[in-house]
Amino acid sequence: MTQPFNGSLLRPDFVPGEPVERHFSDVELVWTDDEQKQIATFRSQYPTNDGAVMKVLWLAQNKFSWLPPEVVQFVADTIEVPYAKVYGVATFYTQYYKEKKGTYVLDVCTCFGCQVCGGYDILHYLEDKLGISKGETTADGLFTIQEVECLGACGSAPMLQVTNGPYVHNLTKEKVDALIDDLKEGKMPAFESVTLPQDETDLGGNRRSDTELVTEYQTPPVSETLH
Amino acid sequence: MADAPSLITGETKAGDWRNYERVLLPPVKDLHKIDVYEENGGYSALKAIVEDGKFDPKGLTDEVKASGLRGRGGAGFATGLKWSFMPAVDPEKPRYLCCNGDESEPGTFKDRQIFEYNPHLMIEGIVLSCYAMTIKTCYLYIRGEYIDYVNHVQTAVDEAYASGYIGQKILGTDFSTEIVVHCGAGAYICGEETSLMESLEGERAYPRIKPPFPAQSGCWGMPTTINNVETLACVPLIVNRGAAWFAGIGPEKHPGPVLYGISGHVNKPGVYEFPTGMLITDLIEVAGGVRGGKNIKAIIPGGSSTPPLTWEMAREATMDAETLREAGSSMGTAGLCILDEDTDMVAFTRRIAHFYHHESCGQCTPCRDGTGWVEKLLSRIENGEGYTRDLELLLEICDQMEGRTVCALADAAAWPVRWGIRRFRDEFEARCKAESFVSSEMGDGASTETESITI
Repeated sequence: MTQPFNGSLLRPDFVPGEPVERHFSDVELVWTDDEQKQIATFRSQYPTNDGAVMKVLWLAQNKFSWLPPEVVQFVADTIEVPYAKVYGVATFYTQYYKEKKGTYVLDVCTCFGCQVCGGYDILHYLEDKLGISKGETTADGLFTIQEVECLGACGSAPMLQVTNGPYVHNLTKEKVDALIDDLKEGKMPAFESVTLPQDETDLGGNRRSDTELVTEYQTPPVSETLH
Repeated sequence: MADAPSLITGETKAGDWRNYERVLLPPVKDLHKIDVYEENGGYSALKAIVEDGKFDPKGLTDEVKASGLRGRGGAGFATGLKWSFMPAVDPEKPRYLCCNGDESEPGTFKDRQIFEYNPHLMIEGIVLSCYAMTIKTCYLYIRGEYIDYVNHVQTAVDEAYASGYIGQKILGTDFSTEIVVHCGAGAYICGEETSLMESLEGERAYPRIKPPFPAQSGCWGMPTTINNVETLACVPLIVNRGAAWFAGIGPEKHPGPVLYGISGHVNKPGVYEFPTGMLITDLIEVAGGVRGGKNIKAIIPGGSSTPPLTWEMAREATMDAETLREAGSSMGTAGLCILDEDTDMVAFTRRIAHFYHHESCGQCTPCRDGTGWVEKLLSRIENGEGYTRDLELLLEICDQMEGRTVCALADAAAWPVRWGIRRFRDEFEARCKAESFVSSEMGDGASTETESITI
């Protein structure tokens, strides 16, 4: 005989027959004219409706900051594909936020390139500083810390990414402090151009005249906890 | 080669690399701007082909074949040969090119330098490749974390459209091709070719069983070719300077310029452009030597999937596919990670296992479950709770993962563990408890530590 479902062990997101908790009303779930134009462009770029799923999900996430079920449904209706398919895509990729995150999501890389250069030191320092563990959000809803996989900046380890946006390279505790202070004031870090070591003699390091923030590759720090 | 039984000679195969002139990222300020790129000979290869008819499509494919260019994305497959797999043009069937800029292999950070500093070289390469294979649409797939580069590349693509290098009737000829920039959303598996195609189609990015290969049935079931960013960036260079020039750089079987991403315990990490066939010791020298003058314990020659080499194995090896295979690893993406004598190889291997566990797409059981078991066992050993027999169990799990899945992710996950244990076994054993069972205490052969690893 099969055991009846024990609701205390597992809390499903919704119970059949009961309305799902909504975070955005129908009034909010509309595209502006500009967004509709973008969506029309996205749809023209792929031979099927499905092709535009990822771009419209990105558009929705940038607009609503995360993707609760009603937003996923909204995206599905927009590009005329089934909800289940859009939900499947949204849950497959880590950068789509399926739950509400803090205003600033700090994605700290600890994959091996960063691991051996103090990635975990930075992660643990941030956890102590903000009083939360990875995967959690501060009580004021300002910061979420996540441990992420390689972000493709191994030469400037340790590093982190802020809310799927700018990278912050060559992290030190001082740099983390300054970053947190800036973010509390609402200042997102600017794009940091990382120079090529071979350009040092030929181009004086920086080869771009149109970036303000330039970082050189530096000797990585010696990790405190894990080498 | 009867007179040279070993390729590992301790001598560089990169020729006069100290006077190497950079071509993928030449020292030109603001090269990412289209006017600067044009002033420095940019888009001249495209003009030579579509306007002056330097090569017909087959001729261009043959030229790339003759250059010996091999894919820079990890597998190292011959690019010209891959192009020649495309079937004859069927007017009923659209054909696609995918430019793979997913670059998620840990230890790899080279393509982003092309996106930022020389995007037009890649764009010119894409258009030339489309010409060679009579393709009208290219999807340029860039990982979602590189959003700054996605926008940067989109600007470059828009500039190229405005100048008539992409779009309808390129440079006033009958040749047309479009480039669509596609932004990923954080999945390592999308770097696998068929998975990338699933992702483009708006599906969950599960790799497909091959055959059929992409040339027969790729994006939306149509003939498709997929190449890495750096590979396509080599194409304009081959057109401008000739296949013989390209083939003359580095070792015969794996020639050309390469972006080496050097990370880990070196004084000057970063992306360096040199010929293939560089001695690993020379690369460490250009990267400023080992941090703190320490000794080297291990080298990862080309990203997380390539088996780690001990210093003894790496010190005379050169960076080309054949030599590294003989040395016991592979070229991968040429993203080297240098690990000094203080590195904890158990923790290091555990972190790689964690990566693959997280990034397994979940389609095939040996990979979905195997990567998790491997990570749990390695965590247990790292925490000093493991037993020597766990090492045999790990190797057995690796046996059950390799070659038993749709794509190569399971193999890539198993290799660093298998070779990590084989090559650094002393270090693993030192962390393990020798006793296999504490049956006298537990009574039934079960031990306390099994509880913590049971799901």
